Amino acid sequence: MRHRVGKYLTRLACFLLGVSAIGIALFLFVYVFWKGRGVISLSFLLDSPSGVPVGTDGGIFPALIGSIFLGGLSALMGGLLGIGAALYLAFYSDRKWLSVLVNTAILGLSGIPSILFGLVGYTLLIYKLGIGRSLLCASISVAAMIVPFVSIRAKKIFEEKRRGYMEESLGLGLSKEYTLRKLILPHCASELLGTVALGMAYGMGAVAPILYTGAVMQADIPRKLTDPFMSLPYHLYMLVNNGFSLEYAFGTAFVLMAFLLLVQLLCKGVTSLQERKESR
Amino acid sequence: MFQADTKWQPVSGTPQFGLLPAITGTLYVSAIAVILALIFGVGGALFLNYYLPDNIAKIFLSFIELVAGIPSVIFGFIGLTVVVKGFAKIGKMAAGQCVLAAGIVLGVMLLPYVIATCSESVQNARKTYELSALALGLSKEAVLLKTILPSIRRGIIAAAMMAFGRGLGETMAVMMVIGNSPIFPKFFGRGQTIPALTALEMGSIEYGSMHLSVLYAANAVLLILLFVVLGCGHMLRRRLDKDET
Repeated sequence: MRHRVGKYLTRLACFLLGVSAIGIALFLFVYVFWKGRGVISLSFLLDSPSGVPVGTDGGIFPALIGSIFLGGLSALMGGLLGIGAALYLAFYSDRKWLSVLVNTAILGLSGIPSILFGLVGYTLLIYKLGIGRSLLCASISVAAMIVPFVSIRAKKIFEEKRRGYMEESLGLGLSKEYTLRKLILPHCASELLGTVALGMAYGMGAVAPILYTGAVMQADIPRKLTDPFMSLPYHLYMLVNNGFSLEYAFGTAFVLMAFLLLVQLLCKGVTSLQERKESR
Repeated sequence: MFQADTKWQPVSGTPQFGLLPAITGTLYVSAIAVILALIFGVGGALFLNYYLPDNIAKIFLSFIELVAGIPSVIFGFIGLTVVVKGFAKIGKMAAGQCVLAAGIVLGVMLLPYVIATCSESVQNARKTYELSALALGLSKEAVLLKTILPSIRRGIIAAAMMAFGRGLGETMAVMMVIGNSPIFPKFFGRGQTIPALTALEMGSIEYGSMHLSVLYAANAVLLILLFVVLGCGHMLRRRLDKDET
């Protein structure tokens, strides 16, 4: 009897916890999309913010574009650096101490809280180097944050491919560089691109690194690297934190989440297509 | 700086820089979050991998993975409009911003991570033990409690360490719901964490001032904590991976 009760209790507990975990995840998406749907319109997407205080009327177009600029720039910098580090670790790490050092640095970097990138970026770039709040400073801070993100995943991709190609290719008398350029990099290209895109989405959603390094409440679309810019998550934070407009905050959250979700789903779709092609 | 009776009053006439409230606040919030995330995460991972058919579990797992991609501002925003509002309504508190609210929001943020790592452990454990245990005539639940849970215990501890490390550094979501008062944290009271403190105050600090140095010192403490926690987590994971192969 006691056994039977215990059995059903265990089953019940698992069901309850599992269903509520899935329920929480579902709730997050449904809540934002449901609450934000009323604000979304073409003019909300394509107008500049207006009203007093700023953001209570108009749209979010500069923030959308600013976020995309920030994402693109930091993905470019962070992606190149991250993939470079992964290339070194996967193919050129013949000096033991150096590869241990690079590996530890990347692991360490991955554990650093996002606000520290903002703090160091702020004191170093803005005070020490005197660049001023700008797209450039913010992109550098975000890029530093996505280096470990890209690097750890890229290393995994390279190590999988290395097994397939490197030894055969070296055995045929081809050089390491030739194999890398002609075989491994082309074969990893879509996966690497997906990884960098995911890193970009991760960087675009972060507020902490851009808090004082470049994002502002109102600005035009940046024309130079040294212009300050608007960003979606920062805009959302300011709207909520200052209590300007909850309605527009939901709208902004809707757009931000939809955009990031789209990027992630695209990356996943491409990866699973690739896998299907390879298994065939 | 680390004495219990020094307060955090960085801009008063005689500035005081007591970091202890923020340090305890950081640990407190992360601990609540990890406990919540572990309860729901382990339960969820067991449910998904044990009671659901494989293909449905896969769909749910990748759906929960999407939650990990939601930026932390949105978590803070939802926390503010749902959790904090709820606390204000139920608890008859003035604002509802408290350490527990921050712990809940952070716990939800850590949930996808815990579920993902625990699922992996559960799948491995099932492969090793399930058939032989079932063949011995144990019921499904007995297998779960007597063989699978004990065998993934170390995996759970490693996941908890890593999640704790992530929680310690979380900035925006925590900052939006914790109330940001530099006092000793109480369960239903306001509190302060080191990342939130940094994010709030670094914008208004003079370069080269004592205040900035103290902020850097606070973050140095945070980094040391992170180093210990994540280091232990990594070692555990490494050893687990070695055991499995």
